[in-house]
Amino acid sequence: MKIEREVTIGAPRARVWDFLWDVPRLAACIPGASDVRAVEDGKRYAAVVADKVGPFRVKFPLEIVVLESQPPDHLRARAGGRDTMVDGLVKVDLDLALADAEGGTALRLAADIAVLGKLGTLGHSVIVRRGNDIVDRFTTAVRRALENEDAA
Amino acid sequence: MNSFALYEPTSVAEASEILARHGDTARLYAGGTELLLAMKEGLIRYDYLVNVKTIPGLTGLRLDADGALRIGAATPHRALEREPAVRERFPLVARVESDVANVRVREVGTLGGNLCFAEPHSDPATLLQIFDARVRCETARGSREIALGELFVGSFETCLGEDELLTEIVVPPLPARSAAAYRKFGVLERPSVGVAVAVALDDGHVADARIAVGCVGPIPQRMPAAEALLRGRGVDEASANLGEAGRRAARAAEAVSDLHGAADYKEHLVGVLLRRAFDEALATLGAGPRR
Repeated sequence: MKIEREVTIGAPRARVWDFLWDVPRLAACIPGASDVRAVEDGKRYAAVVADKVGPFRVKFPLEIVVLESQPPDHLRARAGGRDTMVDGLVKVDLDLALADAEGGTALRLAADIAVLGKLGTLGHSVIVRRGNDIVDRFTTAVRRALENEDAA
Repeated sequence: MNSFALYEPTSVAEASEILARHGDTARLYAGGTELLLAMKEGLIRYDYLVNVKTIPGLTGLRLDADGALRIGAATPHRALEREPAVRERFPLVARVESDVANVRVREVGTLGGNLCFAEPHSDPATLLQIFDARVRCETARGSREIALGELFVGSFETCLGEDELLTEIVVPPLPARSAAAYRKFGVLERPSVGVAVAVALDDGHVADARIAVGCVGPIPQRMPAAEALLRGRGVDEASANLGEAGRRAARAAEAVSDLHGAADYKEHLVGVLLRRAFDEALATLGAGPRR
């Protein structure tokens, strides 16, 4: 499942870039994330992401590896983890690109998400919809956090 | 499957209190055709199941004086398929029920369970909306009746409160000189698209048109924007508007690309099945568009 989004954030590129590395603030923008921490600054991170759709609950301990970082405009990372209760495996390839745009910075996000195991076979359409929803909420939260910073 | 405790309450109030006590560690259990499969797969865990089939009055159906069909939530699909009153007064409901899953599922699976599980590919959840069906929801504290369409808030998600039970489905008869049709298509066990249409004719005009689309997006729903293109029009005009009505319905259905088909394919099918269902309803009424 590939998801692409582009949002324009009313903040300069360098500030958006810094925000992406500000673990507590970025974590607050990821729906269902907790225990987000740096394992090795700038290289490896860990997080637990939980979600619930009706009676289905999942909780993925994720390991996030930064594959490429070109400040202040390109970031590639890979996240993966297994839900032990439901026997589901999630793998996410994330590509974030920043570019100057009218009114601020264009954040382009491309995510390639794979959900494997029993979880993947059950409700594919639910997963697709949920994936889109999570990405929307994430990009909106990042934009709000940065623009509110301006207002403050 | 994880082990769980099974409650067998004898009243709606008792079941509601059990649900309130255990919160999201408990779930109502009727036929178990979806819930137990998911639990056996380890996809869902509950510590307590509350069997609603032990509650008197939740199974069976009757016809009201005004012709509405009142169905106890724990009534199995098979009963709806075979009951003479349903076959005679609501033949389309009986026909669609006879085509739900397979006979083993229909024998134990219940209509209320089907609606409450809110699996997005349910046939009855789509079909019953063109009858303006309502559902009665009860807790130990009181009850309310809502339109069936309001029950669904997302895939596998309903508006029911934590301690609330769906106890009855009320299916009013269609208006006079009406006919209805349901068309579905799929390549897997569950349909990719389901379209239900009801048409009422009055002197060559479409006095009422109801369209519901299911399976395509997260919830089955009525399509008011598409209905507006048919309602109040002459039969030929309504028929000519079907293309645009199909596009409106397809957009509103929020199609998702998944194992059942690509979003644009499903959108295309919505239009195709809408036309077929509309034509079938007209044919039942002995009226067809002049093409």
